Order: sequence, then structure tokens, then C-alpha cells
Amino acid sequence: MTEITRRTALGGALAITAAAAVTRGALAADPIEIDLFFPVPVQGKLADKMKELIDRFNEQHVDIKVTAVYAGSYDDTNLKTRAAIKAGKPPAVALMSANFIREYAINGDAEPFDALIEKDGKTASTYFDNFWPALKPNAVIDGKVYGIPYQNSTPLMYYNVDAFKDAGLDPEKPPETWADWVDAAKKLTKADGSRWGIMFPGTYDYCGWLTSAFVMQNGGQYYNHDYGGEVYYNAPSSLGALTLLDALVNKAKVMPPGVSDANACTSAFFAGRLGMMLLSTGSLSFVRDNMKSPYKVAFLPKAVRNAAPIGGGSLILPKGNTPERQAAAWTLINWLVSPETAGEWSRFTGYFSPRKAAYDLPEMQKFMTDHPDAKIALDQLKFAAPWFDTFNTVAVRKAMEDQVQAIFSAKVTPADAVAAAQKAADELLRPYVDQTALKAIG
Amino acid sequence: MRADGRLWAMLAASAAALLWVVPFAWMAVASLRPGVPPDIASLAPSGPFGLGNFAEAWKSGSFPLWYLNTFLMCGGILGVQLVTISMAGYAFARLAFPGRDLIFSLFLLQLLLIPPLLIVPNLQTLVSLHLYDTLPGIMAPYFASAFGVFLMRQTFRSIPRDFEEAAMLDGAGVAILIRRVLLPLARPGLIAFAIVSVTAHWNEFLWPLMAVSSPKNQVLTVGLSTFASGAEAGSDWGVVAAGTFFVAVPLLILFLVFQRRFISSFVSSGIK
Amino acid sequence: MTFEERALGAGAVPSTASRRRFQRWLPVLVLLAPSVLFLGLFTYGPVLRALWESLVVGRLAGDHALGFGNYQRLFADPHFSRAALNNLVYALGTIVPSLLLALALALALRETNRFTAMLRTLVVMPMLIPLVAAAALFTFVLLPGDGLLDFYLHKLGLPMINWLGDTNLALGSVIAITVWKNTGYYMLFFLAGLAGVPQDLVDAARIDGAGAWRRLRSIVLPLLGPTFGFVVPIALLNALTQVDHVVTMTQGGPSDATNLLLYYIYQQAAQNYDAGLAAAATVISVAALLSLSLISFRLIERGVHYES
Repeated sequence: MTEITRRTALGGALAITAAAAVTRGALAADPIEIDLFFPVPVQGKLADKMKELIDRFNEQHVDIKVTAVYAGSYDDTNLKTRAAIKAGKPPAVALMSANFIREYAINGDAEPFDALIEKDGKTASTYFDNFWPALKPNAVIDGKVYGIPYQNSTPLMYYNVDAFKDAGLDPEKPPETWADWVDAAKKLTKADGSRWGIMFPGTYDYCGWLTSAFVMQNGGQYYNHDYGGEVYYNAPSSLGALTLLDALVNKAKVMPPGVSDANACTSAFFAGRLGMMLLSTGSLSFVRDNMKSPYKVAFLPKAVRNAAPIGGGSLILPKGNTPERQAAAWTLINWLVSPETAGEWSRFTGYFSPRKAAYDLPEMQKFMTDHPDAKIALDQLKFAAPWFDTFNTVAVRKAMEDQVQAIFSAKVTPADAVAAAQKAADELLRPYVDQTALKAIG
Repeated sequence: MRADGRLWAMLAASAAALLWVVPFAWMAVASLRPGVPPDIASLAPSGPFGLGNFAEAWKSGSFPLWYLNTFLMCGGILGVQLVTISMAGYAFARLAFPGRDLIFSLFLLQLLLIPPLLIVPNLQTLVSLHLYDTLPGIMAPYFASAFGVFLMRQTFRSIPRDFEEAAMLDGAGVAILIRRVLLPLARPGLIAFAIVSVTAHWNEFLWPLMAVSSPKNQVLTVGLSTFASGAEAGSDWGVVAAGTFFVAVPLLILFLVFQRRFISSFVSSGIK
Repeated sequence: MTFEERALGAGAVPSTASRRRFQRWLPVLVLLAPSVLFLGLFTYGPVLRALWESLVVGRLAGDHALGFGNYQRLFADPHFSRAALNNLVYALGTIVPSLLLALALALALRETNRFTAMLRTLVVMPMLIPLVAAAALFTFVLLPGDGLLDFYLHKLGLPMINWLGDTNLALGSVIAITVWKNTGYYMLFFLAGLAGVPQDLVDAARIDGAGAWRRLRSIVLPLLGPTFGFVVPIALLNALTQVDHVVTMTQGGPSDATNLLLYYIYQQAAQNYDAGLAAAATVISVAALLSLSLISFRLIERGVHYES
């Protein structure tokens, strides 16, 4: 080959390679990589299912690559997200326990979604009409949308049909008031300890959730739903609720003493050693899969009224992400809360879908007909109340939980418990209160 | 009378040892029973046995990743430690300089001021060094080891000086001295140190927990805790037992094989 | 010229006094530099930093004011005083039984034969697994109703006991796990220490008619002084730093029953984002550890009998 021909050939080859590279680059820009921190707060194979959903999202969206990061419990996920934000490596999206969102807003650790919502041509309030109203107080803080609800639950009563029959109770008529409930429990409890009437988790987080349920059923507010600096731990409604708990464990003795965790409750229920269990609706599928004897579900009993605090998680936008990451995150979020996907997640887990439209889809309606327990969980939503959230939520929550746990071990009277809880909570809330409600003016 | 006393002592010790091994016995038995048998607590079951739990545990956890991270962490720490402790150990063993004893005592203080105690400020240091959520970040606080320096000083001091003198007459500098002459002679001490160091760091939990947030940087202990106490495990205790088995078994096997080495290493760490 | 002088390069080409001094100490500086660097970054620096932060950082983000406010809040916090009290009980409850058991087992198993080697191995095994693995196993062992302990106690007719969920029993359960984990480790030290007790001394005493207790008290224990001198500070250190099981099993509960100092620090830092309080608690814990170690070391030194 002559010199010129060789050079031409070489030049041509280079040119072709370069052109190919440029074209390839233009056609397939590297997908933007974002991460999603998510917790698995209830029993079941949720981590696998989430990974499956994310894989599907990645297939459908070639320009975004999401890594789903399993981060433990709600508390763990909160810790990890906060630490990551502080270290300058925030995840693009985090599935955060709904009652932690207020603190993210107070501390400026999360971005409001309003700008992204408006870019789609909607306003914050019309956007939120897509979701059940009870979810609003925990997600919309100071008028801005900080959380997009993804999975929600309420506590539910699960009861063992055979045990009911054995105790002379009618399985079609579960107890509706506190008095009936304790009565039924007394009949279900066997003196030799082989069966208990009632069990529910008393571990941190679950304990506070269920305590707020009892207080609200007793007519109380438990905490100020619009302002993170006030709690009503020593109100009469709270005292009444704690008196009930004390009676369950120490007077009527229908509940085992001490703190039981969720596993202990489900183990006992599956083994037929428990009559009635209070557990999250998020565990519906888990119970359905593992309970071999017939069981049913019912509303939580009421005193003054029915009340079921919502639990669950919402998707948040941690602070410190670039606009590109935020845009990709918004695409992911909208896909996750689309009626189809939200419905699928709900059917798999037992959480109810915060997206109202999910219940209009035929798959969901069929599911409701096939699974009356899921229907009952959904029906209880009309009595839904918001989830406890204040400044320094975990510590303030624990101020009451520590007292309730002490009641379970008969170490404190209800009256002393509510007084101590209020005192501790006020102390913890003071720095925030001093800066807000008690701020000196003039 | 003497024989009687010895017999009682043996019986009591046997009872204690049997009591001690019960949790391990349960782990072995339960991990071999797939499904969720109602008497999962039984130490002598008749039920169906199988390897299903191990498969399930391996699938639900990320054991290969955790093993890799743990190996890298322990290996990385040991590697850097060997360098820092032989250098400092030599200085304290062979060189005289003002304030030597004072500085050595300050070094020894680190035996008490271990990283888990100083989690809060150490995390802040990691963040400022951009090492948060990285494996080197987990390893860094352990690179200086007072225990290792102490051990090396001990070991070097017990080596006769003839070897070093000969090498120095040949014109060897400090670096060659340490690497070519002393370290080979200090092998038993180094092995003892390696065993203690790897065991300690393999089992470390709180610091690796706080120093990383992404699952891709998790080590075995952190992985096991999310695996075993997480709600995903639910009440499947056989799977929890199998997962615990994966975490516990490597060191146990090494110990059973190298028993005498292990024991003498841990013990020599106390001999003054 | 001494060995040291030659190693430090004495006898090299003479130059100005300062350069000679620098050359003289250069090897020392270089040899110590890596260790000093890491010690500064991760041991001493952090102590100073915690001290500084405890005096400066306020409660809400961005608050800065020099003062003892954090310490005031710390000592007024019932969770802290409870954690400190629990830690004291925990320390006594773990150190005393595990040392006694370790000594007793070492005495019983001091002869080396296949049988004692096997028993020693069984007792030492817990030392080799991470504390979180022990926690995973014991979560099941102590599970109310279906767990190992309750399962077998039920066969004896006893009712279900909630070992970790009862405020009266939780700390004891956590202590038991720690004792299970550490006894074998301490036993190793006692075995080594016993190996150093000359048999002829013991035999002589026996011939003189001294009983087993007398021999133990007058000869063996004093000669084990240095062993105690080493093991007690280690046990103390463990009592303050082994909280993995609290983190994974009880989270300080129920109702603060298992809250320990290091767990309190972890909570303040990681859950409540109270950096100032966490720093103050760190400073107090470090101070406590150092002073207790110093005291225990001095006490043991005073009671030690060194064989000349």
C-alpha cells in the first residue's frame, strides 16, 4: 500500500470511529444514576418486591438508573438518610416514615415538592387531592408538600375464629367497645397460660403508635396536629387510655406482662396461643400467608369514638441533590405512586394504597372482593387520624413509650406515668418552643 | 480426698461447658430444619432435616458481598498496622530519645480510648476527610495500634542484638534492618498479633454500623444485624440460625484448626 | 559508640549543631510518624474535639455559645443518670461473675489433656463470634413462649417469662449474654497465669498440710496478681464499650432498663441529633473509664506479690 493510501485508510478509520462514538453518545447518553433508600418495617418479603419494581422501572426508563437501597427499619432509614445528607451524599429519594417528615421540614433537610408539582401544571392542593385526606397533616407542612404518600397502614385487630368459638364468642360479632373487648379477652384467656386474650407489640415505635390510637379512641388529640411543640400526654383522655393498658396487663391479666415484640405476637397468633392481636395492616399478607387456622379482622375497638392512626411511609426529596437528580427522582416518584404500581404494591404487602384512584382499577376491585380482610382495613380509613409527629419526634415519642413500657411491667401507676411523660416531653420540646411559640417579640 | 475434689471440679466444669455450648447447639440444629416447625426451640427434634434454610439465608442476605467487605477491611487494617507497629515498635525497643517513656505511655493510653467510644468525633473526622461511607473510612481509626506497638517492642527486645549489629556493620540502614532482619525473626509475635487483630475487627459492629450507610459497604456484622433482627426475617428462626452460622463459622473453623496458635496469641497479649 | 548512637547515625559527617540534632532525631520522627498521625486523627484529636464541642455546640442547628450548658442538660437528663446507673450495675454484674467463673474454670481445667482441651474449647467459642451474632442467637433463646429457655422451662411447668421485655429482667438478661461471651476469654488469661505458678511452691504447701482454699488464697491468688492487673481493666473496658446487643436487641428499653452509657451516646448522636449532648456524654465516659482503670490498676498493683 502506498503512503498516501495508508494514511487515507488510517484517517478514514479514525473518522469512522469518531463518528460512531459521537453518534452513540448522542443516542444513548449515560443514564442518570439515582438511589432510593427504603425501609422494610413490617414482616414479609418486601425488599425483594421493591427490587422487582425498581428493575421494572429501570427497564421502562432507559435514561434513569435507580438503585434500591434497603436501609432497615423506619428508624434506621431515618438515621442513614440524615447521615448521608450531612456527609454530602444524600440519596435522591428516601421512603421516610410519615411522622419524621415534619422534622425534615423544620431542619431544612428536605426539599418541598411544590416547584416540581407546579412545573407539571398543578397546584399543591390539587395534587394532594389524589390522596386520602387523613394523610395530609403528616405530608403537608406549613402549606408545602414535603412528602408523597407511598404506603400506609393503620392498626387492625386480627382474631382467631376457633379460639372465639372455643371461648363461647361469636366470630361474626367481634367486640366493638373497650368494655366488650376486655370482656372477650377475659373469656379467651386461659388460666394455665396456654392462651392469651390480647397481645400487641410494645417495642419502640409500635408502642407509641398504638398508644396514640387508644388515646384518640378515648376522644383525645394526643398531640397538636398542626404545631410540633405541644403534646397532651397528661390530658384526661391520655390518662384513661393508660388506665386501660394497665388494666389489660395488671388487673384483668389478659395480656402478657412486659414488652412483646411483633415477632412474639405473630408467633403466638400462628401457634394458636393468642385470641386477639393488634397489628399493622401492613402485615396483612404476612399473616395471610402464615396463619393456618381460620382468622378474621375487625376495626379497633372504640371508647368515645373509633380512631386508627395512620402509619406508613412517604417519599421525600432530601436536600443537596442536583436539579437533574431531583427531576429523575420526581419521575420515579410519580411512577411509584401511579394507580397501577401503587395498587400492585398494596396488594402484595397489605399496606393500603394512599392513591385513591388505585381502588378504581379492576385488579384492585377484584382483590377487595377476594380478600375481605383488605376491604375491612380500607373501610377503617374513614376513622383514620394522623401519626404522631413533633419536634425531636423520636425522643418525645419515647418519653411516653418509656412510661407505657413501665406500666407493662407494673412499675408505675397510670397517673404517675402521664405526669412523668408530659414533664419529659416538655423538657425535650422546650428549645423548639422557645424559638417559636415563646419567642420574645418587641 | 484429693481425687474427690478433682472429680467434683471436673463435673462442675463439664456442666458449665455444656451450658455454654447450648446456643451453638441450637444454632446447628435449627439451621438444619427448614420450614417453620412449631418446636423450633427443641434441641433434639425428630422432624425433617434439610439445607433449605442455608439456601434461603444465602439468598436473602448478601453474604458474598459481606464476606468480601469484611476480608478487605480486616486485611487492609492488618496490612497498615503491620507497617505502623513495626516502625514504632522498633523506635521504642532500640532507640533512646528524650521523652521516650512518656510518649510510650501516651501510646498505651490508646488501649483504653478505642474507636467505638469516640464514635461521635470520629464520624465528623471521616466526613471532613471525605471518607464517610467508604471501606477505608471504616479501617482508618485502627491503623495505629497501641497493642501492636507494645507487642512489637516486647518482641524486638527479646531478639538478641547480634543480628542487628552484624547487619549494621554491613552498612544496613534502619529500614533494611527492620524489614530484612527483625521482622522475620519476630514472626511468632507478628502471627499472634495478626490473629488478635483479625478476630477483633471481624467482630466489630458499632463503628462499621455508623461509618457506612450504603449496603454495598456493609460488613458481616452489620449485614447480620439487619438480616436477623429485621422484620424480613419475621419468625423464621431456622433462617436466622443459618445466617448466624455463616457469620460465625469462619473464625470458629480457623480456631478449631489453629487452636494452640490462637490461644497462645490471645494469652501472650497479656504477658508483661 | 553505643548501639543506639550508631543506629541513629552518629559518626556520620559532622555538620552544624542543629542539622546534627535534626539528623539525629530524624529516624525516630520517621518511625513514629505514621502511628502518631493516626493516633492524632482518631484517638487524641477526637477527645479534644469532643471536649471542645461539648462546651460550644448548642441544641438547635447553628447554635453556638461557650459554656457548660450541655453538661447541665446532661446531668439533668434522667436518661443519662439511668444509663450511668445501669452501666454501674452492668459492670459489676459482668465483671465479677465472669472473672470468678473464668478463674474457677481455669483452676478446674488447668491440666492439659484431651478432655480438658475439649471443655476449654467449648467455653472459649463465644469469644470468636461477633456480639451481634450472639445477640441473634440469644434473641431466640430468650424469646418469650417459643424460645429455647421458655420452651424447656415450660416442660418443667414454669410459666412463660419475658426475659427481654420485662423491665425487671431485661438488664439481667443482657448481663448474662455478656458473661457468656467473655468468660472464656478471661479464662485463657487465668490459664496462662496459672501455668506461671511454680508447682513446687504449691506442692510444698500441700505437704505442710495447707488445704485447697489456703493454697489458693496464700499462694495462687497473689501470684495471679499481674493477671488480674491485666484482665480487670479489660473487663472494665468491655463493660463500657460492649453495647452491640443493646443496639440490636433492646434499643435501651424496655423503658430505659438496658440503657448504657455508650448506647446513650449513640442515641443522642444518631437519633436525636444532639451533637453537644453526645459530645458531653463522650467526655464524661472517657473520663470515667480512664479514672476507673487507673484506680483499679493501682489497687491491684498494691495487692500484688511478685515472685522475686
